[in-house]
Formats: sequence, C-alpha cells, structure tokens
Amino acid sequence: MDRSSRLAEGVAMMPRAVRDFRFILLIAAFVALCIALARPSWTMQRAAYDLLLVVDVTGSMNARDYVLDGSPAPRLDAVKRTLRDLIAQLPCRSRVGLGIFTERRSFLLFEPVELCDNYPVAEAAIGSLEWRMAWEGDSRIASGLNSALEIARSLDADLVFLTDGHEAPPLSASGPPPFEGKAGEVRGLLIGVGGNALVPIPKFDDMGRETGFFAMADVPQENRMGLPPADASSRPGWHPRNAPFGGEAPTGNEHLTSVREEYLQTLARRAGLDYVRLEDASRLDAAVAQSASPRMIGTTADLSPIPAAIALAALLASYGALPIFRLRQPRPGSSHSRNERMAQ
Amino acid sequence: MNFTVDTPAVLLLLPLALLPFAATVLSISSYPSLASIPHDRLSLVMDIGLRIAGALAITMIIFGLAGLHRREQLVERVGKGANIVLLFDRSSSMDNSFANRLPSGGEVSKSAAARRLISDFVARRPHDRIGVAAFSTSPMPVLPLTQHHDTVRAAVAAIDRPGLAKTDVGRGLVLAMTMFNENTADASRAVVLVSDGAAVIDRQVQATLRSIAARMPLNLYWLFLRTKGSRGIFDPPDPRQPDMPQTNPERHLHLFLSTLGVPYRAFEAGSPRAVEQAIAEIDRQEMRPLLYFERMPRRDLSHLCYSAAAVSVALLALAKLAERGLTGRSRATYRPALTLASGGKRG
Repeated sequence: MDRSSRLAEGVAMMPRAVRDFRFILLIAAFVALCIALARPSWTMQRAAYDLLLVVDVTGSMNARDYVLDGSPAPRLDAVKRTLRDLIAQLPCRSRVGLGIFTERRSFLLFEPVELCDNYPVAEAAIGSLEWRMAWEGDSRIASGLNSALEIARSLDADLVFLTDGHEAPPLSASGPPPFEGKAGEVRGLLIGVGGNALVPIPKFDDMGRETGFFAMADVPQENRMGLPPADASSRPGWHPRNAPFGGEAPTGNEHLTSVREEYLQTLARRAGLDYVRLEDASRLDAAVAQSASPRMIGTTADLSPIPAAIALAALLASYGALPIFRLRQPRPGSSHSRNERMAQ
Repeated sequence: MNFTVDTPAVLLLLPLALLPFAATVLSISSYPSLASIPHDRLSLVMDIGLRIAGALAITMIIFGLAGLHRREQLVERVGKGANIVLLFDRSSSMDNSFANRLPSGGEVSKSAAARRLISDFVARRPHDRIGVAAFSTSPMPVLPLTQHHDTVRAAVAAIDRPGLAKTDVGRGLVLAMTMFNENTADASRAVVLVSDGAAVIDRQVQATLRSIAARMPLNLYWLFLRTKGSRGIFDPPDPRQPDMPQTNPERHLHLFLSTLGVPYRAFEAGSPRAVEQAIAEIDRQEMRPLLYFERMPRRDLSHLCYSAAAVSVALLALAKLAERGLTGRSRATYRPALTLASGGKRG
C-alpha cells in the first residue's frame, strides 16, 4: 500500500521533466556521448605497396638535362627528388627498400622497411645516393634489370627501376642478353630518366673532381664482341678474317646521352613491367598504384566523432531551441520573461 | 606538454559555449514579482554552476571533435650506448664459409654469420644511434646515423646478398669516419669494421684517415673474419717473404690502424662462435652514458573530453529531473526542488 502510493506519487512527479523535450535532448546527448566513449570504429581495406627502388648510378646519370630550382641538375638529382616525393605520397604501411645499379648487377642497400616509422631514414638514404657508389664504369642495363628483378622476387616486392637506358659499352650486334625470368612474375615499373636531346656526360678524376666531358675517343663507340653486324661487309676496309667489323675506327654518339625510350620499352615489355618517363611524382604515384600489386591492409577509422557531433547538436538544441522559438513568436512584456528566467 | 588539435576549424564553434549563459535548459515558471523572493546565495550558485556545466559540456565536445591530443614528443633521456657506424665488407669472398668454401649443409657463409650476430647486436642496444656503410670496390653510404633500428636491421639483413669484386678498405674507413656529425659529440663514437680481408691503403687515403682521426675522437674496432688458411692480422710475417703491405695486407692494415692515434682493437674470429665473443666484447666496451631521445607517442585526449562532457550533461539532466514547478499543474503538491532543498528557496 505504502509502496504503491509512493510509486503513484513518483509517476505523478516524473512527467514534468520527462514531458519536456529539453530533457529528452539532454538524455539523447548523454547517450550519444556514452556511445562516443565506447570508441566505435570501422575497419577499412586500403592498399599499401612493397617496393624495391633500384637507381642507376652510372656515369650517364650525371648528365645535366633536368632543371631543379632554376638551375641545371644531374639526372640523379632529379631521380632523388622524385623518389623522395614518391615515398612521401605512398600510403602509410607501405614498405620501401633501396638498391643501386651499375656494371651488370643491382646491389641491395637495405631490404624493404615500413615507411611510416622509418620515413626520415629512407629519405636520407635516398638523398645520399651518388655516382661515387658505382663500383664499375660499365652500365649493362639489361643484366642489371635481370638481377634487380631477381632481388625483388626474393624480397616479394615490386620493382621500380630508374635508368636512362644508356648501355655502356654499347650492345653488341646480337642485342641485349636474353631475359631469363618469367615475364610478369615480378610486377613494377621501368622508369626512363633523361631528356630527348643528346647531352655530354661529365668526367671525373680519381679524387672525384669534375674534369670536363667525355669525348668521342674516350668511350667505346661500338661493341666488337661477338658476331659482326650483317651490314659489316659493306663497310670500308672490311675483311672477313682481319677486319670483320670494317677497317676504320667506329664513330658515333656513345659519349653523349639521351633517354633511350625505345630500348627501355623493349626491356620492360619482355620482363612484364610497365614503362613510364620520369615525370613529377604525382604521376609516378599514380603509375605505381597502377603497376604494383597492392597489399590490402586493414585500417581502423575512428567513428566516435559521429555520436559526439550528434551529442553536440542535441545539447545545442536543448539550449537554443526554445529561445529561437520565442524570438520568432515574440510575446508581450520582455521584462516579464526576464523575470521568469530569474525565477526559473 | 604541447597539446594540439587535428582540425582547428572545428574550434570556430567554440563561441557556442556561451549559449548556456544566455539560455537555459530548465523550464521557466511565471511568478508575479521577483522582489518577493528572498535573496538566496545557494540558488545563485546552483544557477551559475549549471550554466558552467552546460558551457563545459559544449566546449569539451567541440574540443573532442577537433581531435585534441598531446603531440608525439621526443623526450631526452640518458642511457647507455654509443654512436656506432657499422662498416661492412661486401666483397664476394664474404659469401664463402670460414673454411673458404661455398657454404654447404650446416655451414654458414661469413656474411650470413655476421648478419645474424650483428642483427642480435643491434637488437641488444636499443638506445644507440647506428649508421651503416659498405665498401667493396667503392665506398657506399647506406644509412646515416639513426635511431630507427628497423631500417638498420633491414640494412644488416642485406649484407649476405652476393657481394662485389674488391676490397677498398681505406676509402670505406674514410666514409665511415666522416659519417659522424657534430650531433654525436655528446657520446662515444665507434666504427666497427667487419671484413674478411684487407687491401693496400693508398698513401693519400692514409693521410686523409690520419687527419680525420686527429680531428674526430672515435673508437675503432676491426672484426676480422679470418678464413681458414689465410694470414691472420697478429701473425708474425713469413721470414722467407718480404714483409710488405702487398704480401700481408691484413697485418699492415692492423699496423696502420694502431698508429692512427685513436683507441683501436682488432678481433680475429675464425668461426661464428669467435665472432659472437668479439661482438660481445664490443658490446661491453661501448656502454657509456649517452643522451638519447625516446619517443612518447601521440596521446589522444578526445575521449577525456567526451567523458567530461558526459558528466556535465548528466548533471544537467539530473538538475532537470529535480526541477519542480511553482504552480501545481500536476497533481503533485509543491515541494522545494531537490537541488534547492537543502536550505534554498522557500516559495
């Protein structure tokens, strides 16, 4: 009896607040905040990439046919700038390894590392690439690409190989060495570096000082290994035994360099890579997204701002709705309403 | 302590926090004259308190939405360690086993042994700043001095890949010694040369090395991976042969390094076990006080904001529950409001 009467009294007391929409809004805000505190989240799938960057550091990469900050810059500097931009744009949790190429091999400097945590080091390592790291003057790109593909395969990474396509010594008449791997086994990009016009290649002495440019006589202009080309018999001074390549010293443009796009496209095609020119990093970024195989990773997005925003809206409405409603329907006696508020 | 927000634009909503001072969530009752109400301090405090609670709730939600957090910080601490440059010989002879064969069965190549043991070494020294350089025919900077040990391990992992042709140890040492910069002056600096052979050092390079050693105080360690049957660094020269750098490059490199004028120790290791002992010795030697930076990760504070807001909103809701009208529109008889009951307004 006693209890039921108290209950009836309670029910009678309750409605005043419960019927008030502002109380309901406050409760809604409170519930929304509690939901926000429960940290709702949503797992999204996002692509990340495992890349092995291999940079050609041979002599021809010192040719200055890029312009950076208004002054002529070597190809290698343009490559470094582009790669830094590229790794800054790669999605977090991508991994990047670095290697260099000269002679006939690619040489791994470090295996792919996670970029988010190690970005400053990777960036500094790219910045410290230079031609002095090259251990030989040769530049046998087809072989170097083969070994880079092999390293990338062993690391389970996609390859980004940057070169100007300048073979030194020149290819023999039989063409580049065969591609031995399985085409398309390693995906990736072959990036052509350099301009279309022929430019001279700087020459350095033993102590690393620049001493001018390579002249025609400084570099082999023709590869006289292997069988002579088919048209050799028409050359002056040709003799099948004593002068199978012709009787005169070869002339040519091997001491000058430009990007050899056709050759690089051939190499890319037979290895199943995509070919692009070194453009600004935004396009390179898109090219990587297109050519490399993405590794899907789950990232959690925090959804708590949504209930929190609802809570804010409810709270503001509970304060603001009535005054705004009143402003639109002005009641007589403003001092009266002020009194009311004071009295709550 | 530096606090910051992710999206400052959200903070433009902050003036909304003044709303509770202009409006109220409580219901308004008409009353003929305010003058008949006695002055009551507690009611005033309640009124202001509830308005502040409302303002606080709005402010906190806005800060939470803006993503208030404490920024990731680098805290300087003192630990034990050193600045170390690991200088690796990447010549192709490192791919052979200690018995100078291609590794077969249970044997490991010298580079694989070095790789494993030095990875452990790096893992044992969390506070070190470590740089990596390599040399064969030419010196190659691989990583600058860094505390990001993941990358260091990735670079160490690359040393058992097939190596290159020759061993230009002189220029490699020049590179390694010049990798220390001014930032490393606060702690000990060490170069750890890992090689399985040596070569004649050019006279010019020798002079460069001496001048660097005079300028840069550092400790030099040479971990010599000795192949069975090859000449050691401590062996007396064969009396039947001329004692020249060309015939005994290892011994002469050792002699040269001991005259550099920097603390220098050579370890000759003929087996993975001996390499392990040598590395343990370097580990012990290079434990000096070192200032290092520890990363305090970013701390998200938005949930703290939401909880403060939730508490404030709960207070407001309670106040709302406790409110009573002055005129009994409901059947309930008038009672003093709960919040005011303890000596407040007596209408």
